[in-house]
Order: sequence, then structure tokens, then C-alpha cells
Amino acid sequence: MKRGQFNFVWLFAIVAGGAILFLAIYGALRFGDTMRFQSDSEVAKSIAIITDPLQAGFAEGSFGKILFQQETRVNNVCFDGEFGKNDISVATWSGIGEEWNLPGGATSIHNKYIFSSDIASGLDYYVFSKSFDFPYEVSDLIFLTPDDYCFVNMPDGFLGLSVPNIEVDNCSVADAVRVCFGSGDNCDVMVYGSCLSGCDSVYDEGVVVKNGIDMRYVGNLLYGAIFSDKGIYDCNVRRLLYRAGKIAEEFVGKADLMDARNCNTNLKPDLIVWGAMVGNASINDLASLRTMANVIDRKNKGEKLCGMW
Amino acid sequence: MRNVVKGQMKIQQMAVMIVAVFFFFVLVGLFFLGIVLKDVKGGAERLQKEQAISSLKVIADMSELNYDSTWSMSFDEDKLRIMSGEFGRNYDLFWPVASVGVYKVYPRFDEVKECPSVDCNYYEIWDNGQGDVKTYSTYVAICERVKGMANGRCEIGKLVVGVVDVGK
Repeated sequence: MKRGQFNFVWLFAIVAGGAILFLAIYGALRFGDTMRFQSDSEVAKSIAIITDPLQAGFAEGSFGKILFQQETRVNNVCFDGEFGKNDISVATWSGIGEEWNLPGGATSIHNKYIFSSDIASGLDYYVFSKSFDFPYEVSDLIFLTPDDYCFVNMPDGFLGLSVPNIEVDNCSVADAVRVCFGSGDNCDVMVYGSCLSGCDSVYDEGVVVKNGIDMRYVGNLLYGAIFSDKGIYDCNVRRLLYRAGKIAEEFVGKADLMDARNCNTNLKPDLIVWGAMVGNASINDLASLRTMANVIDRKNKGEKLCGMW
Repeated sequence: MRNVVKGQMKIQQMAVMIVAVFFFFVLVGLFFLGIVLKDVKGGAERLQKEQAISSLKVIADMSELNYDSTWSMSFDEDKLRIMSGEFGRNYDLFWPVASVGVYKVYPRFDEVKECPSVDCNYYEIWDNGQGDVKTYSTYVAICERVKGMANGRCEIGKLVVGVVDVGK
């Protein structure tokens, strides 16, 4: 065999072998990425599903915990046109190069209101829910957080639910987020109640101050303001108000049907006005809307057998 | 000359071998891809099923449909009438499933009669028009408020939700 032939054969084998090896490695990496994307997308979809049984229903609230096998980031993007949606996507910790992998496919959730940070990272996530009544039940609010919280000076029995990542007053977790009701030391979040009439507690309405930003709330929206970023909070509140307006429209139709079978209700004019107001309201209108909601609720309770809700 | 022919033969042998090895790996890759895609399909089916089953309670307890917020799995017939009509179109993008319907199961019927009509037994709340759907159902109460009756008048119904059949 001549020396030139030997070189050519080897050169050919090396080039072709190298190409195959490159394709194999490239394919394996792409395959790994696809598998990770699939797994992260599945997790996002699973979050949407496992929060279903956590909806409060007619209970005071409901609590659950999501455990991940590795550090996981949950992204929440809120869109507020009409009913709007929360887009939930999940990214896992890479440890190589970029700290976090690109997130998997987002799952759009139109019928839930998920209050969380825009980007939350952690191993264990706590999920709990509370209902939002305005004055009828509009929907359940779902709160998702990996952080520990310390509630300082919270009125007794106010939360009405035992959630492991929320401690009250004598807190043992050192790096917990400190939420102070009215006053307190080293507070990360302040809650100022301003409810003076028609309320069980002064904190039934008020303002949550977080990172110097004010978030107005009524009722259980308090927890939404504590656990979520301003953008997510405002967006979800606009979605809830729109839905409250649509439910009022439905009640107006229901009032006509009930009247037709002599189950008369006097709520129709109030509901027409309420529907128009709440559907176009902003967060700044929450406190004044609450006063009107209380009036309508009292009227509904007075209807007894032919009440609307 | 003979050496050149022999060299060319070797190159051809090598080329055929490389192509054969390449195809072997491609076939092995396709085999694994087939297994993985089957797994993806299985995962999607499982998630769809879980979504449908958990949606049954969520839909039954929605304020737009439920009879009383303190009653679980009960529909307000007045709300069904409204949501199955023109008003329900406002909710087209809202539903987590492909179809939602409510049947009255008593008295037993031979023919489905969509409401509103005389002696109707079926309210179609939402249907996105997709043909291949797998349905899941649960029994519910269908009630309406009646003057003089503290708990209203209730009938037995069946809530049926459909999800896209990813298995087809």
C-alpha cells in the first residue's frame, strides 16, 4: 500500500467519522432539550390541573403543597383583556452555563386567578385558595409561593386556614418575608386596614405596601396583594372585576326568568347598575364598590326564598 | 494501476460501510423516537383525562352555573337556560375543556331534545366544534328557585365534559 493511499483512507474515515460523531452529539443534545421542554411543559399543565381540587368551594379555604425534585422556576404572565388568562410556564435549574434552562411551553389558564410573583423559584411551592365574593362569589383566588412568611400583628383567626409556610407573630424561620398588619419591626410588607363600616375587621379593605408600591384591596384580595407582584395583582383584579360584571348581567337575565314564575326579586335594577359599574371599574374603585356590594348583599339576604345567590 | 484499483475499492468499501453505519444509527434513533413519541402521546392523554375529571367539579361549582355557593355539584336551571343561549357566547374562550353539556336524566328519555324547546332534556353550554372528543361525566342536581320551597325544586342531571382525544 502506498503512503498516499493510506493517508487518504484515514483522512476519509476521520472526516466521515467526525461528521457522524458530531451529528450524534448534536442530536443527543437536541433530544435532551426536547425531552426537558416536554417535561417542563407537562409540569406547567400539571400545575393547572392540581390547582383544581384546591379551589375553596364553600369551605373557608384550601391548602396544598407542590414538591419538585429539583430547583424549579414558575413564570406567571397575566393577560387582562376581557376574561384574560394566566400563562404558567416552568423552567428547571441547569447548573451548566446559563443558570436556568429556557422554560417549557406555557399553559394558558382562563378560568383561574393565580396570584404569584412574575418569576418564583424554589423546590417546594405552597398553594392555597380563598374565595372572592363581590357580593356574590365571583371565583376562587389561588395563591402560589415558594417563600416562607411571617405575619406580624394579624388579628386572631383572620387567615382562617393553617398554611405551613405562614407563621404568625413568634416566627422561627429567619429569612421569612415579614408582613406587618398596622405596625411592626423590620417589615417587608405593610398592611394598612381602612374598613370603618359594614366589616368584620378593619383589614376587610385597605392598602398593602410592598417595595414602596401601594396595592389597594378588598376582602381576600389582601392575600393576592401580599403574595403577588403589582403587575400580576392589578391584572388579575381587572379580570375578576370583568367577570363580576358578566355574572351581574347573568343575574339580570335570571331575575327575568324568576319573575316569570312569580318568584319575584327586587334586585334587578341594582344588578343592572352594579354590572355596568363593576365591569368597567379600576382597582382604585374597589373600596367604593365594596360599600355598594354590601348594600346589594343585604337586599339579597332579605329576599329569602327568591334570592339571587 | 492495480494498486490504484485496489485503493478505489477500499474507498468504496469504506463509503458503503460509513453509509451503512449512518443508516444503522438513523434506524436506532427512529426506534427510540418512536418509543419517546408514544410516551409523549401517553402523557398528553393522561393530562387530558386528569384535566377533564378535575374540571367536572370546577365547572359544576362555577358561579355562572351553580345553584347556591354553599351547595356542591348543583346547577341552577335558570343559569343553564341563560348560559346555553346567546349570553353563553361571551364565555367562548373561557372553558378549560372542548365541550360542556348538561342532561336531565329523569324521566328517562329516548331522544335528546336540546333546550330551549318543549320537554327538552339537554343544555349545550359550550362546544368548540372539534369532532374527536372523549367525554367524562358526573351526576349533578339541577335546581331552580320556587316561591314557597325553601330548597327550591331539584331534578337529577348529568354533567358531560369533552376533551380533545389526543389518542386518535
